[in-house]
Amino acid sequence: MLGKGGKRKFDEHEDGLEGKVVSPTDGPSKVSYTLQRQTIFNISLMKLYNHRPLTEPSLQKTVLINNMLRRIQEELKQEGSLRPVFVTASQPADPLGDSFREAPPAFSHLASPPLLPADLVSTTPLESCLTPASLLEDDTFCTSPPPVPHDGPTKPPPPALQPVKDSFSSALDEIEELCPAPTSAEAVAAETAAGDAKAHPSESSVQKPEGLPESRTAESKLMDSLPGNFEITTSTGFLTDLTLDDILFADIDTSMYDFDPCTSATGAASKMAPVSADELLKTLAPYSSQPVTPNQPFKMDLTELDHIMEVLVGS
Amino acid sequence: FLGAGGGNDIQWCFSQVKGAVDDDVAEADIISTVEFNHSGELLATGDKGGRVVIFQQEQENKTQSHSRGEYNVYSTFQSHEPEFDYLKSLEIEEKINKIRWLPQKNAAQFLLSTNDKTIKLWKISERDKRPEGYNLKEEDGRYRDPTTVTTLRVPVFRPMDLMVEASPRRIFANAHTYHINSISINSDYETYLSADDLRINLWHLEITDRSFNIVDIKPANMEELTEVITAAEFHPNSCNTFVYSSSKGTIRLCDMRASALCDRHSKLFEEPEDPSNRSFFSEIISSISDVKFSHSGRYMMTRDYLSVKIWDLNMENRPVETYQVHEYLRSKLCSLYENDCIFDKFECCWNGSDRQVIFHGTVTLFLPPLCSIVMTGSYNNFFRMFDRNTKRDITLEASRENNKPRTVLKPRKVCASGKRKKDEISVDSLDFNKKILHTAWHPKENIIAVATTNNLYIFQDKMN
Repeated sequence: MLGKGGKRKFDEHEDGLEGKVVSPTDGPSKVSYTLQRQTIFNISLMKLYNHRPLTEPSLQKTVLINNMLRRIQEELKQEGSLRPVFVTASQPADPLGDSFREAPPAFSHLASPPLLPADLVSTTPLESCLTPASLLEDDTFCTSPPPVPHDGPTKPPPPALQPVKDSFSSALDEIEELCPAPTSAEAVAAETAAGDAKAHPSESSVQKPEGLPESRTAESKLMDSLPGNFEITTSTGFLTDLTLDDILFADIDTSMYDFDPCTSATGAASKMAPVSADELLKTLAPYSSQPVTPNQPFKMDLTELDHIMEVLVGS
Repeated sequence: FLGAGGGNDIQWCFSQVKGAVDDDVAEADIISTVEFNHSGELLATGDKGGRVVIFQQEQENKTQSHSRGEYNVYSTFQSHEPEFDYLKSLEIEEKINKIRWLPQKNAAQFLLSTNDKTIKLWKISERDKRPEGYNLKEEDGRYRDPTTVTTLRVPVFRPMDLMVEASPRRIFANAHTYHINSISINSDYETYLSADDLRINLWHLEITDRSFNIVDIKPANMEELTEVITAAEFHPNSCNTFVYSSSKGTIRLCDMRASALCDRHSKLFEEPEDPSNRSFFSEIISSISDVKFSHSGRYMMTRDYLSVKIWDLNMENRPVETYQVHEYLRSKLCSLYENDCIFDKFECCWNGSDRQVIFHGTVTLFLPPLCSIVMTGSYNNFFRMFDRNTKRDITLEASRENNKPRTVLKPRKVCASGKRKKDEISVDSLDFNKKILHTAWHPKENIIAVATTNNLYIFQDKMN
């Protein structure tokens, strides 16, 4: 279930990566490369949506993080990967239900003072939500009582409780991304709908910066538009067989989402996220125009989603 | 003097430390810039609270031949205040990003200080005399009853306790949409440039209501933005030439005579990426945090996250020298990305201009100063120096412990992996909160100023 070393169908894809440049921190296997890439992707997303709201974020930092995200997305596209980059480790049992409630702060934080600084500073360390970078490297830099991440007067607010918000946004983004815009009428309609309705922060703030409330500043627009930019650039050559319908309405095995990894008996909570993604990939691998019949259905109605987002954010 | 080709290795000794002792650092006290003036007599620091503190070197005492003059507080003033940008609903930090001194032309000293948005020209002047003996006023300022005045006298200047006054003479505002990262005074001493993330402006020191945009890399569509300006500096001798560095590790040299808007560079300095070192973080660690011309202007030095590079202005395709500052961090980049340390902006500096003296028979030649040593900071309050001639390098620590005046600093060593030798420090025990971002070298003597988070250390070479 959790991919404890079983051979995966994705191996075929991985072989194609042989000639690729490998990170120097890479272990012998490509798994650790994709693991690290996903971790970096998650961290980058969190950085973009987690900053001190009082002063303008550093443009240089924003640009560099955004370039990182773009590059990873480019890589994923080139690999032809079907694997969405989910950050799901700390999702509660019903990923969608709770996600909806959690999502708005990620996108309205620039319109109004964010919830996160004091309220959402949780005692849950980063490690229990994501694979800590330190596990990929030699050091115990992040996991040992660190002088750096959580101390010091100049530290940024700890990136706690972001995963849930970002998992939802990532999930939505990836679903959008999997659908090539020109070839899918539904996707175009969806994007148009997202662009028109201002109360669709998850899509609009990430994909259509123009649709944001007017109180957004130029800089925050930039910040959101940058990731939005790379979300929009879904290539036509990418999974042309798929349409939004196939993904949204197909049955996908999401059994790994149905338990809370933080209370999992395995104790390796921090490794949930990448493994889950790999598992998901396993179920998606034979994906063609035929939907997979999983153990449990994964259904989402886009208009229903829009409606819920409207209710949560807008009014 | 240094003989041609460099002399003995310098032995650095602790001299002084300025700033609060306690570990609890007040955010406003965080030092954000350090700069000697042209003579080295004055040393200015700027902090996050918008204050400038200037230290003055004591005149050398003939009896104290074993050490150079100490630096004592000369003037303290509030340069910038926090502001609020109502349009964007964001605070504008008062943190002083850079200080640059003007060469001294008269009794007063002038410096430029800048925060993210506004540059100010400050005049620092001394007052050590005051007029006494007015006819119509008492000494305390009260007016005398004119009927009591029976004689006339001429007021005279009498000495008073030295008072140092700082007054803002020019305020250069409203020219930068983005955050100012550099200011650089031209060799004509009339103009200067200010650079933000996307634009560089040229100012005349006398004119505050107008500046000329000389570089603009803002794309029409901000969503296409992938590169920002990180530093800029005028050439030390050529008043039409300047360079600017980018977040992608490139340096562009521009000639202002070529066109009004120097968007097209005259030279582009970029080192091709080393494929064996490529990682997710290649771009981020290639981002240049500082660029400094050598005194002659023949070379320039750039600092990126892991290294210092020396470039010959005549060679664009690669640096002539590369020095690794803390290569042991290369395997930790993911963690450093996670905790934002990878975005730390380290500065670098050349040694001061020790005159090069050559004795040839009965002729003594004084040659232009040699830039032979570079210095830059690292973590754990370590700082590093590289001797370009001997190719030797040294790691020293700025710490209050074990630092007695005139005791030579003990070299430090970081153990990257494997067995840690005695006195070595392992990478995992480095304190990444203790970073030395700002260092400065006295323009004429072997005195260096090293800023830790909130303390300023002054080291001198051991005089025999």
